[in-house]
Amino acid sequence: MAQPRILILAALASVGLAACGGGTGTGGTANKPDKVQIAAEGPFTGNQASIGAGALQAIKLAVKDFNKAGGVSGTQVQLLIWDDQHNAQTAQTLQAQGISDPTVLGIVGPMNSGVVNGSVQGLQNASPPLPLVSESASDTAVTDSGHSVAHRVCARDDAQGPADAKFMIDQGAKKVFVMDAKSDYSTGLADKTEAALKAKSIPTQRESVKAGEKVFGTVITKIKSFGADWVYFADEGPEAAPLVSQMKQQGLTIGQNIQFLGTDGEEDPSIIAASQGAYEGAYATNITADPAGVSGSAAAAYVAAFKAEYGSDAISKAGPFYGSAYEAAQVLMQAIKNSPVKNGKISRTDVLSHLGSDTFSTIFGSVKFDAKGDVQGGGIYVYQAKGNAMVVIKQVSG
Amino acid sequence: MDYFLQNFPQQLVNGLEAGSLYALIALGYTLIYGILEMLNFAHGDVYMVGAFLAAGVAGVLVHNEVAAVPAGLAVALMMVVAMGGAGLLGVGIERVAYRPLRNANRLAPLITAVGVSLFLESAVQVWVSPASVLVASNALVPQTVFHLGNAVTPLTGAILFAVAVALMVALDAFVFRTRFGSALRATAQDREAATFMGIDVDRVIMVTFFLASALAGMGGVLFGLRYASVDFFMGYLLGIKAFTAAVIGGIGNIRGAMVGGLLVGVLESLVGGFISTQFQDTFVFLALIAVLLVRPQGLFGQPLTDRA
Repeated sequence: MAQPRILILAALASVGLAACGGGTGTGGTANKPDKVQIAAEGPFTGNQASIGAGALQAIKLAVKDFNKAGGVSGTQVQLLIWDDQHNAQTAQTLQAQGISDPTVLGIVGPMNSGVVNGSVQGLQNASPPLPLVSESASDTAVTDSGHSVAHRVCARDDAQGPADAKFMIDQGAKKVFVMDAKSDYSTGLADKTEAALKAKSIPTQRESVKAGEKVFGTVITKIKSFGADWVYFADEGPEAAPLVSQMKQQGLTIGQNIQFLGTDGEEDPSIIAASQGAYEGAYATNITADPAGVSGSAAAAYVAAFKAEYGSDAISKAGPFYGSAYEAAQVLMQAIKNSPVKNGKISRTDVLSHLGSDTFSTIFGSVKFDAKGDVQGGGIYVYQAKGNAMVVIKQVSG
Repeated sequence: MDYFLQNFPQQLVNGLEAGSLYALIALGYTLIYGILEMLNFAHGDVYMVGAFLAAGVAGVLVHNEVAAVPAGLAVALMMVVAMGGAGLLGVGIERVAYRPLRNANRLAPLITAVGVSLFLESAVQVWVSPASVLVASNALVPQTVFHLGNAVTPLTGAILFAVAVALMVALDAFVFRTRFGSALRATAQDREAATFMGIDVDRVIMVTFFLASALAGMGGVLFGLRYASVDFFMGYLLGIKAFTAAVIGGIGNIRGAMVGGLLVGVLESLVGGFISTQFQDTFVFLALIAVLLVRPQGLFGQPLTDRA
């Protein structure tokens, strides 16, 4: 519990600094920006609210903590909430507001790869360009498309697919039933994993299910007749619980006659309860770490603060990205804080160059971006359902 | 061929389970269309609210996987609360959103229906939960699994099918064998003439909404018991499927909705099982187009209403 005290100290220190600098006023050479805004963007309502709602809570908390610690040289960061509902057109409408307002210095998000890919052009062409730090957009194109505004704190799909395939092969997989949930993210990841499995001559069968589907009898019958020993489901989570509980009802018990590997969102411990225990023993990989599942006092302090802010059961409802969302917000706000203030203004151009050059300190340790905007040394985390928790069992790479 | 024979029974069972749920919801679309000639697009969301009511009752009664009251009583309570709650919700929606527009342009109630649908989804999402909510069905229903040859189904699946069919038969008897049923059919046929015959049309419409919505509520209970999880978006997909089933069967026709529902469920399951799950929806909607081309009034010939 050292973290809050440090925050308070930092807060006191910066208040002191602000008081010292107060005499110079806001004009001229003042080192205090007049207004600092950042936006949180993601699917905060709509059918992906289960990943968005928790991320938004995390970002709000990050801004609150940052402001408590003094904000940007004494100026409080104001948070704009852009609810894009997993829709790139909605995103563009929302972003227009930020593009035209130079005191909007960056975006935490967008969360969905499809939304980033659909709207990043506009952010890049803004003058000055409007930087983004996504907590969850893992599609390769997000940073490979060459847009300097795009950054992400999560790992990439092309790291996850091969890592997932390698993990299953290491565990002795012979025949893998590969499933996706028909989204940019899910299909892309399943493709890469399937390709990596095939490259190692592991037979696969591929099926798609609809996002939001709860009835899996048809698919499960196919898993059985294919004779799979592993089921791989590239998905963001909500479909996993009904899938595995119905697998058990049809005689496929995880850990006994079938193994299960899920992806981001399927390392959510609420799936164990929601599947009435059928998820026990299942594995899941994630492009970010769950703060509750990693060691480190900063992460633990954050989990405690999150519970204090939103209730003791908030973590179980927060979805997979409440850690990386806080991390992304920390990174963006530190970059803003590191940028020079000229005439009471911070320029987005400076924020962008600091994002590229600085090393940031976050709840998961220090973070630095490579030239493309991916985190250096970002890894894939493997979780396993044990008892009522998802436990990190190792960190892997392709 | 071996593959087909081995898997066909299971896929048929899967399809009948899904289909009986479609049928139960399709009945609501058809009942309301039959009487008001309007598509109640909020119907799928009434089903969702019913499922949440059932989940709520289960949440109150079940702690640490042990029911506070005998399991049978708990399930009965879930059914009563979900059917009653959904029924009243349906009546409320009719009173607030549709009745004032009864004589308006036909598009107007359609649009309010979409509005009510969005409202219900958002309300549950914001006030109840944006994520899936667990229904502790393992504490309420024995986890027995039945083997029918190559096919298996859990007890909850069998309950889903049996209760749905029983309710459909009961509804059919109610509409075709009782006095109130004749009033309902009379109202469907000609609202004005029914008024002249001394039928309280408002009351008939209210009862119809109650029945349709209570059936949806029961659908929610059965779904919760079978699949153990409910979410605010569950009514959307299912509503569209059920609506398709109602149209294939002949919208306005009660028996058509039942058959349509089972057909859609089985078709979906067989396409998924033997062609690809990618094409499930494609084939369902192809079937819809084919039926509409060949028999625009749906499979079951004369609709319930004989409109001039």
